[in-house]
Amino acid sequence: MNGLHGIVFAYKNRSDLRELTQVRAAASIPFGGRHRAIDFVLSTLVNAGVTDVGLVLYGQYQSLLDHVGTGKDWNLSRKRGGLRLLPLFSDEREWGTVPFRGKMEVLGSVRSYLQQIRQDDVVLMDGDLVANLPLKEIYEAHQASGADITVVCGSDSTAAPDGTYIQADEEGRVREVLFRLHAPRGRRCMEVFLLSKELLLELVDECAAHDQFSFRRDVLQARKDQMNIRTYLWGGYVAQFRSVVGYYERSMQLLCPAVRRELFHPDRPIRAKGEDKSSTYIGADGVCINSLVAEGCNIEGRVENSVLFPGVTVAAGAEVRNCILFKETSVGSGTLLSHIIADKRVRVNPNRTLMGHAAYPVVLAKESVI
Amino acid sequence: MKKECVAMLLAGGQGSRLYVLTSDMAKPAVPFGGKYRIIDFPLSNCANSGIDTVGVLTQYRPLELNSYIGSGLPWDLDGDGGVHILPPYMGSAGGTWYKGTANAIYQNMGFIDLYSPEYVLILSGDHIYKMDYSRMLRRHKESGAACTISVMEVPWDEAPRFGIMAVDEEDLVTEFEEKPLHPKSNLASMGIYVFTWKKLREYLTEDERNPSSENDFGKNVIPAMLEAGERMAAYRFSGYWKDVGTLVSLWDANMDMLSLDSGLDLRDEAWPIYARSVNGPPAYFSGTCRVSHSAVNRGDEIEGTVENSVLSPNVVVGAGARVSYSVLLPGVTVEPGAVVEYAILGEKCRLGTGCHVGGAPDQTAPESWGLTALAPGCCVEAGRQVAPGTMLNRNGEEVAR
Repeated sequence: MNGLHGIVFAYKNRSDLRELTQVRAAASIPFGGRHRAIDFVLSTLVNAGVTDVGLVLYGQYQSLLDHVGTGKDWNLSRKRGGLRLLPLFSDEREWGTVPFRGKMEVLGSVRSYLQQIRQDDVVLMDGDLVANLPLKEIYEAHQASGADITVVCGSDSTAAPDGTYIQADEEGRVREVLFRLHAPRGRRCMEVFLLSKELLLELVDECAAHDQFSFRRDVLQARKDQMNIRTYLWGGYVAQFRSVVGYYERSMQLLCPAVRRELFHPDRPIRAKGEDKSSTYIGADGVCINSLVAEGCNIEGRVENSVLFPGVTVAAGAEVRNCILFKETSVGSGTLLSHIIADKRVRVNPNRTLMGHAAYPVVLAKESVI
Repeated sequence: MKKECVAMLLAGGQGSRLYVLTSDMAKPAVPFGGKYRIIDFPLSNCANSGIDTVGVLTQYRPLELNSYIGSGLPWDLDGDGGVHILPPYMGSAGGTWYKGTANAIYQNMGFIDLYSPEYVLILSGDHIYKMDYSRMLRRHKESGAACTISVMEVPWDEAPRFGIMAVDEEDLVTEFEEKPLHPKSNLASMGIYVFTWKKLREYLTEDERNPSSENDFGKNVIPAMLEAGERMAAYRFSGYWKDVGTLVSLWDANMDMLSLDSGLDLRDEAWPIYARSVNGPPAYFSGTCRVSHSAVNRGDEIEGTVENSVLSPNVVVGAGARVSYSVLLPGVTVEPGAVVEYAILGEKCRLGTGCHVGGAPDQTAPESWGLTALAPGCCVEAGRQVAPGTMLNRNGEEVAR
């Protein structure tokens, strides 16, 4: 049938996110005060009318499963189609501890699922891509251009560790695919690909037959001249978390109203798991400025330039500056925090001073007591 | 399917003393405490007390309430049993509106019989409180009563406003008086009853045959049961409880939510109050805002000053605006420089730049002071002064109380 099917990869673990990915897959990193990274991808899909989504899971996905549940919060809990969880079973292969070397290999292992896809076209996305893409328009452009594959690219070429860069001609045809660059050139690839189900299956089989496993190397780079591969440029806000500093900077950008208006565009709402906390309370002597604050917080102290997730407590006399505090963090009185990322349920006792720097925010691991 | 206890929630009230706030919706659907609506309290109490079958009796402007309750998922009431909206209906022999609280239950005896329950819990949809109904049910079973009435002690001077129970040493009800001039006790009925279904069924049928009856629990059914010598138990409740049937009490209860000393603690995770929540990013506090002793919710954008106020989701307070001692319902916009004092602003109200709505009691002559209330969707044009105690309808016209 006509339409788009989503396949979301939530298996890569980014080791450079330090403590943040110790306990979770990158796709379930909390972001923006009440979301997880995966909310943006799922909402992007649902807002484009996608009803069927396969979520490929591997390694540390407990927190992700807990978050997405049946997909109900994204209206993906359906009688037919909806959200399908696809945990990968690592089969014993010669390369030992790294069970999957690339996207094509992963897709090969869920081949039977791909075959059952009802829709004619497929979009591949990474679970940790934070952007509010106009996927409906992208899909229309893909169909209008007659491309075999459409690659969504950012309009910049900011360096990102392990980034893929695309050079295209004036008509948008991909001419060069580059990675492992020290000085990036071309457009930054957002790892969002649109292609037909038929072509996808063909590529999966071809790659398997040649022991090829990488989408960017064995499909994009190797086949760019035989196939009609085109770019779609998206100039809006995009966050791909590859480092703690990057995560920190991207989070702080949300304090800018223009960025928020774009990322939380009312026509394409970002849905999230429900939360049953009460309203946030700012105490009589509490101060809260230039900050994003989720529900259920209790602020009796001073909060400045920070992002607070649900249920954070800041005691009287405490000061929180330039921080990101995850769910249910508590900050004792007389404590000063600056440039800190505190994971869930961290407790900072009274009269502590902890300071990081914008260039090196300090991460406090989940449930630690300081 | 058999259930031990079915709850029937009377949500048909027009809430006429909330005036413009209920011009388009039933009282139980009125937003409260930032992210809730009044009906969230009895529904959450049911869910937390292990009662999974709830009938909601509606007849006045039910649209808002129906879509809010939906499948009952936010209260975990979408499974076995679940929450059912019960409007008046036509049968082959005709039908009528609900003539009174007892008649509403009478008309839905068929619904209750579906579950052949031992007990029926009658609740009303206009109170803010947290109560474990399972304890009340236990008291009912242990006392062997036909009816158990939840009561609480009220100050003696307020007793004449309530239905007052006189009890014996076993806390069995000996006398019941509706709004007595000279109360014999200070135990007030909270409008929460547990009945043994078999008994209630008899009395409802009998009450229906009496053409002079007002078909009301407090006025007719309870007195009839007492008269007939049925065993009636009182169940003592202590804790926060407030009827939010008037603008002043609705405002009071919102203010109570801000201070834990009031006894209304909505942050207690052991007894959560659930709500159908709206989507939206976290609240944004700008670099210039000043917020103190206030509740804030999703989607709020605050640039001005907010003190002693409750902001529901998606409220915007512009730069230089000031909101004090007020309750702003969802989607209200206060444009830059506008002032709101001692007011309740209905959903999606819009206050233009520099207008002034309401006023503080210490700056107003006592006889002319009152809370200011704006109907949902009301737009106040820039620079307009709306005096304390005024009510404006949807079109911004003044209406009388």
